[in-house]
Order: sequence, then structure tokens, then C-alpha cells
Amino acid sequence: MPLETLPQVLRENYEKYGSHVVAMRVKDKGIWKEYSWEDYYQKVKHFCMGLVSLGLQKGDKVSILGENKPEWFWAELAVQSARGAAVGIFTDCLPEEIKYYVGHSDSTFVVAHDQEQVDKLLEIKNDVPKVKKVIYWDSKGLWSYTDPLLLSFDEVIKLGYDYEKKYPRLFDEIVDQGSGDDIAAFCYTSGTTGLPKGGMLSQRWLVESVREWGQLDGWFGKNYEYLSFIPPAWITEQGVGIAGSILARMVVNFPEEPETVQENIREIGPGILFFGARLWENLNRMVQARMIDSTFLRRRIYRLALPLGLKVANMKSEKKKITLPWRIFYFIAYHAVFRQLRDRLGLSNVNAVYSAGAAVSPDIIRYFKALGIDIRLFYGSTEQGVMSMPREGDIRPETSGPPVPWVQVALSNEGEILIKNKYPYSGYYKDYEATESKIKDGWFYTGDFGHMNEDGHLIVIDRMDDLKELAGGKKFSPQYSEIRLRFSPYIKDALVIGGPEKEYVTALINIDLDNVGRFAEAHHIAYTTFTDLSQKKEVIDLIAKELARVNDTLPEWTRMRRFVNLHKEFDADEDELTRTRKLRRTFVEDKYKELIGALYSNDDIYKVDADVTYRDGRKGTIETSIFVNEIR
Amino acid sequence: MPQNKNETVIRIANLSLRFGGLQALEDIDLEVRAAEILAIIGPNGAGKTCMLNCINGFYHPYQGEIIYQDRDLTALKPHKIATLGIARTFQNIELYSGLSALDNLMAARHIHMRHGALLGCMFFGPTRREEVAHREQIEEIIDLLEMEIIRKKVVGSLPYGQRKKVDLARALCMDPAVLLLDEPMAGMNVEEKEDMARFILDIYEIKKIPIVLVEHDMDVVMDITHRIAVLDFGIKIAEGLPQEIKDDQKVIKAYLGEE
Repeated sequence: MPLETLPQVLRENYEKYGSHVVAMRVKDKGIWKEYSWEDYYQKVKHFCMGLVSLGLQKGDKVSILGENKPEWFWAELAVQSARGAAVGIFTDCLPEEIKYYVGHSDSTFVVAHDQEQVDKLLEIKNDVPKVKKVIYWDSKGLWSYTDPLLLSFDEVIKLGYDYEKKYPRLFDEIVDQGSGDDIAAFCYTSGTTGLPKGGMLSQRWLVESVREWGQLDGWFGKNYEYLSFIPPAWITEQGVGIAGSILARMVVNFPEEPETVQENIREIGPGILFFGARLWENLNRMVQARMIDSTFLRRRIYRLALPLGLKVANMKSEKKKITLPWRIFYFIAYHAVFRQLRDRLGLSNVNAVYSAGAAVSPDIIRYFKALGIDIRLFYGSTEQGVMSMPREGDIRPETSGPPVPWVQVALSNEGEILIKNKYPYSGYYKDYEATESKIKDGWFYTGDFGHMNEDGHLIVIDRMDDLKELAGGKKFSPQYSEIRLRFSPYIKDALVIGGPEKEYVTALINIDLDNVGRFAEAHHIAYTTFTDLSQKKEVIDLIAKELARVNDTLPEWTRMRRFVNLHKEFDADEDELTRTRKLRRTFVEDKYKELIGALYSNDDIYKVDADVTYRDGRKGTIETSIFVNEIR
Repeated sequence: MPQNKNETVIRIANLSLRFGGLQALEDIDLEVRAAEILAIIGPNGAGKTCMLNCINGFYHPYQGEIIYQDRDLTALKPHKIATLGIARTFQNIELYSGLSALDNLMAARHIHMRHGALLGCMFFGPTRREEVAHREQIEEIIDLLEMEIIRKKVVGSLPYGQRKKVDLARALCMDPAVLLLDEPMAGMNVEEKEDMARFILDIYEIKKIPIVLVEHDMDVVMDITHRIAVLDFGIKIAEGLPQEIKDDQKVIKAYLGEE
């Protein structure tokens, strides 16, 4: 019988590889510590037995709230072994948000990382009465906590040992009972519109669709190294990190701290990698900024090599033959610059490289292609998993590749992408209406706007809801301009505004403090704060130039005419961004209503008198004035 | 840890310190108990840092005694006092700024190293085992103070708040029996102060050692200390629980002046 669930595959791995093969590595106290498949399996088994002894039953939900650590994976697999579902929660959620996730999912246990998360849970414990225990794995700072709700991870494992002694066959029995229909995980939609909805994923989704994905991209037999750092609450980490690593026998490496990822990635040299759009942008921005700081000679060599790389990358994506002289040029450029650069970024060994979740500027994809790194910008969603995937040897900066074999794609008359999927999600938890409303005549309405090119590659432009009609009736996608703006090292974030009642297109800009700061230093511009820097005349000119550059690549009617450098950064703590750092467009447009009004008036200065929320929840106000600028 | 929580660990009696004609400390009596975080507060120039400098042997008072483990510290040299288990941090951060954070901490463990400099040059056999053991201890402290990110950074390149952290970590690396902190939160922002307060409480909880704290920030002092002594112009004007000190007329007068 084929194995239907992840715990069954895990058990098979344990039987095949036992203690000889490394399954996980975690950097702790400055040293990489290894866990074999046997360790992985035993931890899962005992944690599962511990939970069962505490009353976990089939179909129960368990919330997990922590950074990427082995305990996260063990807990999820343990819950799935008992035929329950794991609910991932982002670590930077505020107590209010955690209350929603834990309450809405009816979680009976919460597995939490450390004191920070435990404190949040204790704050809301009276609002989530279904929670029987809060289990933490990092006991630092929790020594004197006496709340009976708390239990340490090790204590649960110990309970599991004892319980297993009493019922030695139980674990195998419940794992055997598991079926592909079991709900294995909840992934909450990021909630760009309204409250987050709990998308349910079955074991079949985790095992079979991910297996097909792995076969499509050749994960098997390579024993890839993988660095786990995208939040497991996100469907991509569920697919690649949790399911993919078990199915394709990858070694999962956990960084020491979220802040040390860059250092750790270099130590590991992963073969498979997923970076969100923002991370690729940040890497590119970092390289550009460091090059500005670098010595004259190095800068010259870099500037010689990069156009060569870009030229060859373009030839490759246009499927032109690369002639011998170009091959030689590229060979030299690669060994003189790109190889070292890849090493510095920890990308020396990368083979399967992904991005998704938000559009990536084609410039970024081209840039990394020049370094010999093929970013596969696939199209996926919480509900439908991977829908289209760029294939090896046919990766083009502007497309998301052809649909994957298990998915059928059609387009509605309005240009909305419709999906029929062999492995769909199992609906939204406790929201039958929303589940049904997305399906018509057997097609799932993704809510995304896109089209197919003549070669059958899918091109995704934007969310349907975010498409704007301009005064002339022409359609335009603000996001399309925004990702191109974010390619500039000086622009961290941008909100592009336009609409039927608006005469022209405008933009709110977040400058990038690090890089604009460097610019200011190099040009002897003194500044005090973010706000002050953003309003310097030289900085405004700099940003105006960047906007003009992007304008040149846009159709006439979508070009930006006026902009402001915002006095503060967009912030997830103020609900301006989602936890995955997507812009909450409607909310932000509403929040800066008056400022946007000024963009469409003749004023060239705007007085800000805004409330701000600090990280610790305290409120304050900012009073300042910012300039409204024209782009010539 | 001593059996009795109120047992005196350091007893200071009649302590007087003078710089030429300037009376820095006058007839101070104070005891540091086994299980407490004790704060020494007072206006600028009250003699708070002088107290710490007397305890760890930088200054030698002309009168009085500081009894620790049945010995009078006033006659001992600072390095001798350090080996007795009294560690401190500094107001102006005295680190090796050209070394990494890790190397600064390793250097602090030298009082626990048994092999000499010559053997230490060879990373071999017992010296190697010793170094690995010390590194393990240091990693515990790095974990405790959340310093993973700055472990290999050169101290001179770190921001002020982080350097303070290295300074504190170095004091901890000595495995102290008493910890003296000289303005650990001076010059920090709110978030850094909160972190530092949490670290001090964590250290107190894990190590179960008395901590003596000189600090300006009243909110912090009131929040995390068990007992407070107040100095003004070298004289101890009050001593007691945080609440008592808050309501003490003499203290209010010293801080706000007379009406």
C-alpha cells in the first residue's frame, strides 16, 4: 500500500536510514548540532505520545507559535501522527491576533517557543478556554513561572516515554490508521482583505502534491541541504521544508537566530532555497550598496562583469545560441566576480531556487540570472498550492512558467485566473460560504488577474481587486509599478495610487534608510532622523530620478506625476503591512487619505500630525511637515 | 548559595574615602545580603561609583572596613578581589575594542585557566580540552544575553548598547559570587533598557548571586531591586525597600532640593 501520510513516510525514513543519516541540523551555542532520522522519529513519537496522554485526540488542532527550530517540525509531525492538524502562527503576531488564530482554529494545545510567546499567551489565556496546555521549548526566563497551564517540551517528551511503556503498540497503530483525507495543517490566508481565513490542507496535499512537485523539479536523489527560515505558518515552508524534506530526504538546517540567516546560509551552502520577493530585493540592494562602498578597482571590475552577465542571461532566456566569444567572456566574468559574489551570499551550491508570494521585479530575476542563479518565480496560493512553475532551461524573467501537470488553468472573460486542481485544499475552516463562493462550475476563482503568452507561460499581473481603472477607463496595476520601484536600492516600499476619479497617478515612497543614509554620508548631507533624511532636497531629487527611470518603462497613462517621501516606514505593527510584508492597500490609502488629497492638489507642503504605535504597544504622535514633489 | 537568604555577604562598616580635602564617602555602613538586588542611588557626585570602586579595590579608603568571606577587602589589589569572585561592569565600558566579543569574553576567563601562557599557545591535549570547556561556558552566557549575532563582531564596531552587553557578559564570564553593575543602562533607549532589566533579573534568577546596582533611571530601580541605599554628598541618607525610599522626605529633598 502506498504511504498516505507524512508520519508514515517519516517512519519509513527512520527504518531505512536510522541513525546513520542526518535529517536535521540546528546551530546552537555556536555549533551545528545534528539529528539523525532516528532522533527525528523518536522525538516525534514521544512528543505525540505525550500529547495523547494529555488528551489529544484525532481531529484536534494544535497551534504552533515559534521561530524555525527542530521542535516546530517535531511538534507538527507529532500532531499529525495523532491525526490532528497543526496551525502555524507567525511569531511577530500581537496577542490580539494570536487570540484570533488560536480561538478560531479551536486549538486544544499551543506549542510556543519562548518567554516572549508564552507571555503573549498568558495574557490572552482567559479568552481561549479550549486550550488545555501551553508547551514551550526554550525555558529561558521561564524558571519562575508557575502557571499550571504551562508545560515544557521535555516534560511532554518524558510523559510520552512513560505512556509508551504502558502502551507500546499505540503509536504504530495510530500512524497506521492515518489516511490521505486527514486534515494535516491549517494555513491562514494573509488577510490582505478582511479577517484571515483558515485554509485546510490534507495529508494528500502534503504528500502527493509535494511529491509531484519534487519529481517535476528533480529533488529526489540529490540529498539537498535546505535552510529553514521562512515561517512554517506559511504554506511554502509546509510544502518545501516540512513535507519536501521528509519526502525527498533533504537535510533541514535551522539558523541560530533569524538575524544570523545570512551568516548561516554561507556555512551551509544550501542546494535548495526559497527566498520571498523581499529577500531577493534586499540581497540585490545589499550588493549594490556594498559596491558603492567598495574600492575603485573592485567597482570597475564589477561594472565590467555585470553587463556581460546580463547579456548572456538575456541570450539564454531568449533561447539564442551563445557564441564562443560570449562563452569565454562569461567564463572570465564568472570566475572573476560572480563566483565570489555567490560565495559571499551563500549561494555557491544552489540548484533549485524559488520565489513566490509576491511579484519579483524582472530586473531582479535578470540580475541573479547573470550570476548564474535561476530564480523560479512560481505562482501559488494557500488554497491551490503550486499552480505554475518555470521549468529548467526555460526560465524567463517576466513569466511564472507553464501550469504544473496536475493543474488546469483557464481565464475568465475579465482575465481572472481559474484553476482545476488534482490536489486542492480542503476548504476554509468553519467558513463553508467563503469556500463555496470561490468555486463556480467546478473552477476555482483565484482572484488573480493574468494572461497566457503564446508559449503557454502564465503571467500573473496582480490581484483582481487591486486593479485600478484610470480616468480614461484604462486598466492599470499599481503593484506592477511598485515592484519596479522597489528595484531601486533607495526605495524600500512604495504605494502607487490612481483611480477613475483621479486625474493622474501618484506615489507614496518609503526611502531605504540604510542605503539613502549611505548616499547622504557620501554626499556630506547631515541628518538626524528618518523623517529628516527623507525630506532633504538631495534625497528628494534622488528619489525623483528613480521614479523618472521607472516611468520610462511604463505606458504613458500609468506614469507617476507627483510623489511624497513618507515620514515613516510602513509597519506591520500598525497594520499597514501583513505579517508576510504585503501592503494592505485599502487600509493604507484610507489612513493617508488627507496626504493623498494633497498629492492631487496644488500644495507643495503637507503638515503631518499622526498617531504612531510603538513596538511595545504605546502610542505617540508625530508632528512634522513633508514635501509634495513633482516628477519632471 | 548560603542557607540564610538574609545572610550578609559583604559588610561595609565606617567606610570613609577622601581625595585630598574632598570627603567622597563618610562613615558609610551598608550590607549586601545573599539574596537581593541592591541599588545604590543618589544625585550626581554623591559617591555611588566610589562605593563600587572601594569594594573592588580601585580605591583604598582611609578608614573603615569591607568584610567579604572573613577578609577585609580594603587592603587588597583589584585583581586579587576579582579572583575572590567579585565581578563588575564599568560606566565607561572598558573592553578590548580591537578584539571580537568572543575574544573579550575568553580573556575574562583567564582567572579560571590552569595552564600558563606558554602551554596556551599550543592548541593541543589538555589545553585544548580546557579551552573548549571554557568556550562552552561562554556560549551559555552568549545564549543568556542573546549575543549570538555579535559573537564574532569586533567590539569597537558595535553600537553602545551592545558594548554594554559585552561588558556585562564579561563580568559574568568570571563566574562571580557577587556582581557589581555601574550604570548598566546609562545611554540606552527604552527597548534596550527593558532588555537589560530582563537580563539582570534573569542573571539573578539563574546564578542566585547578589547584585549591586548603581543606576540613575528611577523607574528601573523601583521595578527590579529589592532594597535601595541612597547617598548624598558621600553620606548615606536612607536605606530600605523601594516603596519606603519613594516616600522618604530626605530622599525627595536630595533629589528635588528644598522648597
